[in-house]
Amino acid sequence: MTISSPVLRNSMRLILPLTLLYALFAMLKGHNEPGGGFIGGMIFATAVCTYRMSHGYAAQLRLLPIHPRILIFLGLGLALGTSAVPLLLGHPFLRSAVGEFHLPFTHHPFHYASAMAFDLGVMLVVVGVAVGMITQLSEELE
Amino acid sequence: MTLILAICVAVTFAVSIYLMTARELKSIAMGVFLLGHAANLSIIAMSRTPVRHEPQLLKGPPILNASFNPAQPMSQIVDPLPQALILTAIVIGFAVMAFLLSLLVITSRKTGTLSVEVLAREGVEE
Amino acid sequence: MNLSNLIILFIVIPMGTGVLGVLFKYQVGLMRVLGSLSLASTALLAVGLLIHLRSHETGILVTQMGAWPAPYGISVVFDSLSGLLLAASSLVALGCYVHSFSTVSAAAQARYFHPMVQLLMFGVNLAFLTGDLFNLFVSFEIMLMASYCLLTFGGTRLQMTQAYKYVLLNLVGSTIFVIGAGLVYGMTGTLNFADLARFVAERQALGEDLPTGFTALSIALLLVFGLKGAIFPLWFWLPDTYYTANVSIAGLFAGMLTKVGIYAIARTFPMIFAHGGSEATKVVMPILAISAAFTMFLGVLGAVSHHNIRRILAVHVISQVGYMVFGLALMTQIALAGCLFYMIQHMVVKSCLFLCCGIIERHTGTDDLDRSGGLLRRDWYLALVFFIAAMSLVGLPPLSGFFGKLVIIREGWDTRWWLSIFGLLTGALTLLSMLKIWSYCFWSPQAAAVERPAGESPPPGSMRPAYAGATLLVLVALFLGFGAQPVYEIAFRAGEQLADPRDYITAVLGPESLDHLAGRDLRSPAELAAAARREATP
Repeated sequence: MTISSPVLRNSMRLILPLTLLYALFAMLKGHNEPGGGFIGGMIFATAVCTYRMSHGYAAQLRLLPIHPRILIFLGLGLALGTSAVPLLLGHPFLRSAVGEFHLPFTHHPFHYASAMAFDLGVMLVVVGVAVGMITQLSEELE
Repeated sequence: MTLILAICVAVTFAVSIYLMTARELKSIAMGVFLLGHAANLSIIAMSRTPVRHEPQLLKGPPILNASFNPAQPMSQIVDPLPQALILTAIVIGFAVMAFLLSLLVITSRKTGTLSVEVLAREGVEE
Repeated sequence: MNLSNLIILFIVIPMGTGVLGVLFKYQVGLMRVLGSLSLASTALLAVGLLIHLRSHETGILVTQMGAWPAPYGISVVFDSLSGLLLAASSLVALGCYVHSFSTVSAAAQARYFHPMVQLLMFGVNLAFLTGDLFNLFVSFEIMLMASYCLLTFGGTRLQMTQAYKYVLLNLVGSTIFVIGAGLVYGMTGTLNFADLARFVAERQALGEDLPTGFTALSIALLLVFGLKGAIFPLWFWLPDTYYTANVSIAGLFAGMLTKVGIYAIARTFPMIFAHGGSEATKVVMPILAISAAFTMFLGVLGAVSHHNIRRILAVHVISQVGYMVFGLALMTQIALAGCLFYMIQHMVVKSCLFLCCGIIERHTGTDDLDRSGGLLRRDWYLALVFFIAAMSLVGLPPLSGFFGKLVIIREGWDTRWWLSIFGLLTGALTLLSMLKIWSYCFWSPQAAAVERPAGESPPPGSMRPAYAGATLLVLVALFLGFGAQPVYEIAFRAGEQLADPRDYITAVLGPESLDHLAGRDLRSPAELAAAARREATP
């Protein structure tokens, strides 16, 4: 389904990078505040699907050249891997490592948790599922 | 606030049940989705301050560590657990919705109809 | 390595295999090997842990996900009940999975068949292991999502006309489950089974009332679990659903899906919702008893009236669920053990019968009894397997069904004799319906071969995997019959853990969690009465 509207096409050039950035922001801030991998992934997928509506399927493939199936695999694998690593170290499943490190040229210490990798996996899965689903359904309708 | 939520839950339930009594699978599907939302709303209505959770235990979870202020009275803290439940239920609902919509698309393509009566009759004939 | 951390492997192994299945979507041969390995390894792990735990003090292994202490985190609990069910379900899944190699073509299996089977097992295993009500909901959803996909697998016209019933009904059931879980949390402030059991036992020991509405809540949850378990009057979705699915998948469903609903009742009701002499118990117990009678009897009447192998077997599932509910309705230690034994033997035997049905269909091209016959002469091995499985289902003495029925009916004789009579009557009618299949399919002279309708694809692959799957299950069924003693030892321990929740609570919440109750007896009145009866009659 492509909507040939010049207004949409041109505004997408502005909206797309902003939305993708916001998706990353929502994913990262999910550690302590509302947000997280699911919501970040949903925003990301919305941006990709809107881009598809304005520019067509070929453009979407240029923007996201990975097959959704591979995205789902990477996401699930990352999430499962992150949660299973503690098993090998003798900790319970899903145990998260938390700590701080200093980035060069910055004043504040950077707080990290290994749950971030899990969240990134969730985001990849959500993007893969949502984009794949919309692609399949719109192929059905076209 | 509880009253408003209760009315919202009641209206959502009523609308969803009305939709589910229709004879078209599309309306029934919409009714089922609304039913899920009504359930989530009712869980929100039930969430309040954590009753049984002692304050010293609440310091444990890292989610609360960042903004947890021991001086804040317990009555102002909202229990995070129902929200976690709802989030999970929403994610599951999203997947189920996607599946159900795809099922409807395939059903209408294979059988050419989404009317419950026609589908039921076909099932008996075969 | 800490042994309790290992139990999470029941979840990690199927999920990991499923994830690989997404990547290797088109490498069907590789996925068949990986999938079988995954199911076999979970079965071995379950059996190994069960044997190891026989000498364990409490027999319960607990791990807290992410090391968050219970009841704030997610507990994963492996006790005798979960262990037996995990072992049985993994073996059943392995048999059906191997069988599917000859009923589902390689081209069809390349359409996410393997990930869906693994996802189903992921959900089933999580349901058996989880230690809280909300994760039980999540695991139900995972399992159901996979079952929706497997049910419509192949996407034939008939499947499409029937699938929506199952999907919509389960969606409504799940919604009630969410509301119920929310209400439980609102009333008690916890969702952890052990914490809930402690809450109820505490109230009972101190003579306090349970929160208002607790009875209504337990009925709502009973409705949800009854819907999944196909208990009277909520069984109407089952025959159509199992009839349209691919036969290996129908075997898998017949083994797993209803049992997870029964498991949920067995896990939550004796320990929590129907524990003690509360108001809820007085309402729930008669409901369970009456629906057990109707489920047993109406189910078997349906099976006798049908004239089509798959429908007979599908409707039979309902009748056998009735025996399990019978065991639950008594709610004593021995009855629960009998219910558990009956459950695992039924999973194995019923799936085996469905797999045999798949082979019969291949031989005759139909599952209509009138148009099949002469199979005893054509395929004596199939006849042998079918006969053993059918007689186990009926419950002839050296075979497994006998031991399950014996314990339940004997235990019911003292308190609910009319249910026992229904049970015996049902057994006789079960024999009748099984003999019907036997005499039409195997003993009657060979009917004219059925022409395959034009346009239907020729059946895929060789039949060797189908025989292998059925053989595996029939061997397990024979083991359950001749080796009933060690299995029953574990089952009795499971019944003890359910009837007296003290071990479960202390295993999950820590040894000091029951200190304030000062060693009061936490067993329910029904169990105390049964214990007194047992002591009176040596």
